[in-house]
Amino acid sequence: MLEINEVFETNAMIASENLDVRTITMGINLLDCIDSDLDKLCENIYNKITTRAKDLVRTGDEIGLEFGIPVINKRVSVTPIALIGAAACRTEDDFVRIAETLEKAACKIGVNFIGGYSALVQKGMSSADRLLINSIPKALKATDHICSSVSLGSTKTGIDMDAVRLMGTIVKKTAMETKDQDSLGCAKLVVFCNPTDDNPFMAGAFHGVTEGDAVINVGVSGPGVVKTAISKVKGENFEVLCETIKKTAFKVTRVGQLVAKEASKRLDVPFGIIDLSLAPTPAVGDSIAEIIQAMGMERVGAPGTTAALAILNDQVKKGGIMASSYVGGLSGAFIPVSEDSAMAEAAEMGALTLEKLEAMTCVCSVGLDMIAIPGDTPDTTISGIIADEMAIGMINQKTTAVRVIPVIGKKAGEHAEFGGLLGSAPIMPVNTFGCADFVDRGGRIPAPIHSFKN
Amino acid sequence: MNRTVITLVGKDHTGIIAAVCNYFAENDINILDISQTTVQEFINMMMIVDLSKYRKSFKELSEDLDKVGEKVGVSIKAQHEDIFDMMHRI
Repeated sequence: MLEINEVFETNAMIASENLDVRTITMGINLLDCIDSDLDKLCENIYNKITTRAKDLVRTGDEIGLEFGIPVINKRVSVTPIALIGAAACRTEDDFVRIAETLEKAACKIGVNFIGGYSALVQKGMSSADRLLINSIPKALKATDHICSSVSLGSTKTGIDMDAVRLMGTIVKKTAMETKDQDSLGCAKLVVFCNPTDDNPFMAGAFHGVTEGDAVINVGVSGPGVVKTAISKVKGENFEVLCETIKKTAFKVTRVGQLVAKEASKRLDVPFGIIDLSLAPTPAVGDSIAEIIQAMGMERVGAPGTTAALAILNDQVKKGGIMASSYVGGLSGAFIPVSEDSAMAEAAEMGALTLEKLEAMTCVCSVGLDMIAIPGDTPDTTISGIIADEMAIGMINQKTTAVRVIPVIGKKAGEHAEFGGLLGSAPIMPVNTFGCADFVDRGGRIPAPIHSFKN
Repeated sequence: MNRTVITLVGKDHTGIIAAVCNYFAENDINILDISQTTVQEFINMMMIVDLSKYRKSFKELSEDLDKVGEKVGVSIKAQHEDIFDMMHRI
């Protein structure tokens, strides 16, 4: 029988520590929509999404009400559009039409994002991949609810440096296209090394080609819960610290497991995975930086931060794995700057630098995330930042990503405002020494030696 | 059996539990368990109830309990029992 203190503990997590289910993401396979006629293709895509996911938002809200836990986002991820549009699209504008179709579908079903305006080019770009990538700036300008991702490398294949070089330019162009909104378009664009096929979080969600027809993936969240728990063991040794994080992660993940199973049952769509990632929001108390600080850092970014993040990430996984049989996606701790107010504050006061963030990405679940950089950062430097991050992922056999926002018209030290869950951030200085001769070489970086396991 | 947990939090005074129980009696909701603690002048109460004979939707239950709570000056929430079981039981 339930104890009263257990009931009130759960409700305190929800009411005052921002425990929520961050997203229910329905992955939808669009391979059967393919047609060489663009009009027909768009019609197929629209019909499939609006049929499959028509009850997604309502169901998410109902589950939230019945269990008394907020389900913040309801989203859809689709098969990478470069594959879906390859037979029909002859120009960049053809791909933009697909983006507009996805936008229409997103508005119809009421989800806040559709992810999967994507290309997987870790070993090379087909002509369709190239067209889609070149269409990204226009597509992200023309739509509000579409997220784009491009996979540029993997441990198995190495890194496609032609694509890395191209993405430096595309990021910059996307920034230019949306310069009136502090280059917001770049917040919806991410590049990956070793992407996962079942990630429910944006901007990087897409429905991998090895997935079934439709699937429910759930992203839980609870940085505030972890921070509160850690605050109670101040001064205790690492064993106690780790145990505390692990137990808390277990509880948080169990809620996600419950919601995912329920959503899967009610929508009659198979359950895929739970993503354990601790995802912060700009709300006070919903922050990864505050967890690091509760662990003993004066500010996030101080020496010791990478070790603290490594502990956090590992213990979250250990607790979460026990709570759900199917854990997947990115599963760790996100370290976005603008979306985490304490992270942005540390960057502002100089405690946290781009280089320290890069070091932190070696042990966290994703990468350089939601970092505002000066608008005059050269394309080649952005490609260099991307190449560094891809190399970290490739060599360490982990997912890494880059979502940087060159804020057009603004310099280091100024502020960028993205609004809502995307938050605001100081513009962080970037090393001004160039790398053009390196990134312009062209070709591929070979797969690392430890990829040869056959 | 459709087990739901009702939690009630607020400033204690006479008639709070009576108001809630009246609503349950009128709507065929059976109470399976009640526990309560009062710290200083604040009441924390938890009930486990069975909704299998309740005719309205969960949304209506939630709205009705808001109204009852408002009348007696406390906050009342209904949640499926599963969320607590999942979190606290292996």
